[in-house]
Amino acid sequence: MRTLYAEGTGPFYRLPVRAKLLLLATLGVALFLTRSPFVLAAGPILGALVYFTLGLPFGLAARRLRPVFLTIIIVAAFSFLVSEAEEAVLQLLRLTTLMLFAATVTATTTISAFIDEITRLCRPLDRLGLMRADDIGLAFGLVVRFVPEIMTRYEAIRDAHRARGLKIRPITMIMPLILLTLRETDQIAAAIDARGLRGHSITTK
Amino acid sequence: MLEPLTLSLQERLIGVIGLNGSGKTSFARLINGLTAPSQGHVRLDGLDTVADAEALMGRVGYIFQNPANQIIMPIVAEDMEFGLRNREPDKTARMEKVAATLNALEIAHLGARRAHELSGGELQLAALAAMLVTDPDLIIFDEPTSQLDIRNRRLMERAMAALPQQRIVISHDLALIEDFERVLLFHDGRLLADATPAIAIAHYQEIAG
Repeated sequence: MRTLYAEGTGPFYRLPVRAKLLLLATLGVALFLTRSPFVLAAGPILGALVYFTLGLPFGLAARRLRPVFLTIIIVAAFSFLVSEAEEAVLQLLRLTTLMLFAATVTATTTISAFIDEITRLCRPLDRLGLMRADDIGLAFGLVVRFVPEIMTRYEAIRDAHRARGLKIRPITMIMPLILLTLRETDQIAAAIDARGLRGHSITTK
Repeated sequence: MLEPLTLSLQERLIGVIGLNGSGKTSFARLINGLTAPSQGHVRLDGLDTVADAEALMGRVGYIFQNPANQIIMPIVAEDMEFGLRNREPDKTARMEKVAATLNALEIAHLGARRAHELSGGELQLAALAAMLVTDPDLIIFDEPTSQLDIRNRRLMERAMAALPQQRIVISHDLALIEDFERVLLFHDGRLLADATPAIAIAHYQEIAG
């Protein structure tokens, strides 16, 4: 059981969760309002400065970003193939900046604080009968809590390949990873119902 | 899939045994309302697990085979407190209850620990604490010792033995249920035996070959 939160005391830790989420959302919009490669190139530099000085060991901090960064590279490569090189570079810079700042927010915010803030933010929509704020907060917390578990499962499948002398191929990794994740999702949902963390839901078998 | 059965479970200690895939977990999920029966009813103290699900919420505790999947928050005490939010609006009262539960289980030292740093046995005890803090009337244990070494198994057994609640324990560990009052043996979705531990275990060993 891993956690994305890292103990620390820096300025980002002292910022209220709402301010951090607002900053991230504003940054997300602002990054798409400019096409200047020079302005956008400052993003990953600044993001890396903030993220890599949180106090996490460098290797661990970098490993945490690897899956997302690989996805960003795939997206940029796709842009390069269907569009132009400039577009691919802009995508790469924008998404890398967002990744670094988002990783900073998750590393400096406890799951409990996330759940409380998301629940509070959703409360007005709850009062209008549009959603259940508690469920949205819980769902958000569960994503932050269980995403690192996918990495643990990936490593277990990779080790199983190695133990059997099998070559690690995306196709033989992804299917078991999806199936294993879905099976565990079912167990987690059952545990949430059993603990009464939300309204009691029923499945018929 | 379970075949139709009629049972009244009054005993305080009930064991459930059977081969893998025999229907033990399906039976347990019916009791706490995680699965609705395709026909008939499951009642707890007269309350229907489907129609009265809200009223029964928290009355049946369930300890899953993999405790890591039932712990949501990173810190043990924080996770326990989180489980009380739907029941107790006052945070101080929630934290008092968390401390009392940890003390009762003699694991106060685990309260401030990160769940991912705990051993298998400690994690199982943390899951038990997170469930007990909600004051269930009945507790279902699904293979509570299957992933534990001898030391952690003893820890868990001691904690389980001290519980005043009615307990239903699914286990392949026959020593764990040999002094229970009643044991149910499932096979291919059928209730094959409903007897004392000695009789049910003998029957189980026969079918296991």
